[in-house]
Amino acid sequence: MSNVDLLGRRNFIKGMGAAAGIAMAAPAMAVSEKADGVKWDKEVEVLIIGSGFAGLAAAIEATRQGAKDVHIFEKMSYFGGNSAINGGLFAAPGTPMQKKEGVEDSVDRMVSDQLKSGRGIADEALLRHVASHAVEALQMTMDAGAEFHPYLQQLGGHSVARTYQTTVSCGAGITQPLYKECKKLGVHTHNRSKFEGFLVGEKGEVVGVKMRENYHFGEDQPGKVLKIRAKRGVIMATGGFAQNVDLRMAQDPTLTSEVGCTNAPGATGEGMYEMFRLGAIPVHLAHIQSGPWASPDEGGFGYVSNYSIYNFPHSMAINRLTGKRFMNEIADRKTRADAELACRDEKGNALPPILITSYKDSKKHPNTKKVIKYNVGWKFDTIEELAKHFDVPLKPLKAQIEEYNGYVKSGEDKQFGKNMTKAKGKYIEAPFTVVRLWPKVHYCQGGVQVNTKAEVKDSFTGKSIPGLYAAGEVCGGIHGVSRLGSCSIPECMVMGMTAARSIMKA
Amino acid sequence: MKKVNIVLALVLGGLVSLSAQAIEQRAWHKEVIGKDCKVCHDNGIKQFPSDQACLQCHDVDDLAEQTARSEEDKWQNPHNNLHYGKDLPCQECHGEHESKKPLCSNCHTFKFDKHKE
Repeated sequence: MSNVDLLGRRNFIKGMGAAAGIAMAAPAMAVSEKADGVKWDKEVEVLIIGSGFAGLAAAIEATRQGAKDVHIFEKMSYFGGNSAINGGLFAAPGTPMQKKEGVEDSVDRMVSDQLKSGRGIADEALLRHVASHAVEALQMTMDAGAEFHPYLQQLGGHSVARTYQTTVSCGAGITQPLYKECKKLGVHTHNRSKFEGFLVGEKGEVVGVKMRENYHFGEDQPGKVLKIRAKRGVIMATGGFAQNVDLRMAQDPTLTSEVGCTNAPGATGEGMYEMFRLGAIPVHLAHIQSGPWASPDEGGFGYVSNYSIYNFPHSMAINRLTGKRFMNEIADRKTRADAELACRDEKGNALPPILITSYKDSKKHPNTKKVIKYNVGWKFDTIEELAKHFDVPLKPLKAQIEEYNGYVKSGEDKQFGKNMTKAKGKYIEAPFTVVRLWPKVHYCQGGVQVNTKAEVKDSFTGKSIPGLYAAGEVCGGIHGVSRLGSCSIPECMVMGMTAARSIMKA
Repeated sequence: MKKVNIVLALVLGGLVSLSAQAIEQRAWHKEVIGKDCKVCHDNGIKQFPSDQACLQCHDVDDLAEQTARSEEDKWQNPHNNLHYGKDLPCQECHGEHESKKPLCSNCHTFKFDKHKE
């Protein structure tokens, strides 16, 4: 289908990962120590580890709350973490754009959608806290210069359209402005800085960290380890562990290295481990989410993911073996990923399903041009051409289109109960654009337990660990079994801001 | 250009070459830098060069101009890209003594024809 070299650099990275794994297992392993009698190399006021949405938001908010000496440490050579390479989708209830588009929404409604997808084990208090402050966080991104498409999107599992997306259709449309804002505010940023453990005071409080300088990810290079005192405390914004194949397979053995991943290579979870060692409570580690919008024709998140996210509401996903639909195209992520993985040929081999969209509708999103240009999506003038290209039985496919168009007309999907609001008037008609779908590991719902003050609870004492705060994907249990799309950015931003407020009050 | 001349002057000025070991080196670097490892290895020979090392001679604004793409694809410019702007350290995509693929190829299929792996 496509002779694109998808795995070139990925395999290369995998090799590096293996080497890094060995290096990490060496006896000089990171571990927390008593700070008693330690000679400090450096002293800072607020110490933030990780430079994604959560870390950047925490730095800006801490400065606004009066902190004078805020430092962000990032293990990679570049800033932004996984936040710099995702879809840039931001859900919030009660926004100006919802008002403009006449969408009725509320904190309650957003929380209720998320609880449903969480399948009974999400943390309602945290979801409510995030939803209540989501507009405020969205405002922070705009104040820093982030720009958004002039329309809302309705993502899978959301009962209304409430999702903003950056004009560049990427999280970098937020991390870049936030990073520049940090620079403007005088936040100190340090790249190639690898966190190597906490330094703990007499009462078990976090008083500082060990930080390796001049760190080159995946390479064995001895940088100097500094002991840094954090006067107000440490905010852990270190992200998920989707790129740590051993750890994710320990939780879910199906997530082998053969399964694609949308994450930045640095999403390996050491910060989280270190908090567990300190006593933090692990929550929901086995709930690792795959993105149902990803493509097997490119690496990572690529161009297709956003193309699919935008187009799912007014598109048909088709099983190539049967020529029929097989899922509600805007069900929650887990429902769709599971349905896609069940698409197999007669021998049981993976047969990535296709997403069919009318070109007149898909072309409204900037990524459509990109997917066609870079050969990860295709345009067809007739249904016959399309069916031939993907080897789909023509007759059932034609019948399915007719049936689906009936649902577009009636507003009721009798096959899969899809919410047809955003499909109104958008019949499936030639010319078509098509992408292939196959899930990729995307997000870790699990992590350390936090409360609505972003404090990290100790499993032995049941109390918050003094001096320690966590925000973003490194935290667990908030979303339950399946996180809804566009709910991570508000969570990262709000909890980053929350951590900053807590640390400044403590 | 001025910086190149400075380095050139340093080299011609007789900095001692440390090692005659055969090691991969770009031809054009050989001419300018010669065999003085320390010109790049500013953190010591056994360490990777700092992220400032390449910038002694190369200017990121100039590079961004040279690798600019059409308006439609402007954010695919490796030296001023969507995800990291102009801040991506050179060594992410370029290795003097080993081959490297561009960071972009983790997720994207677009090509950089002139990129020397």
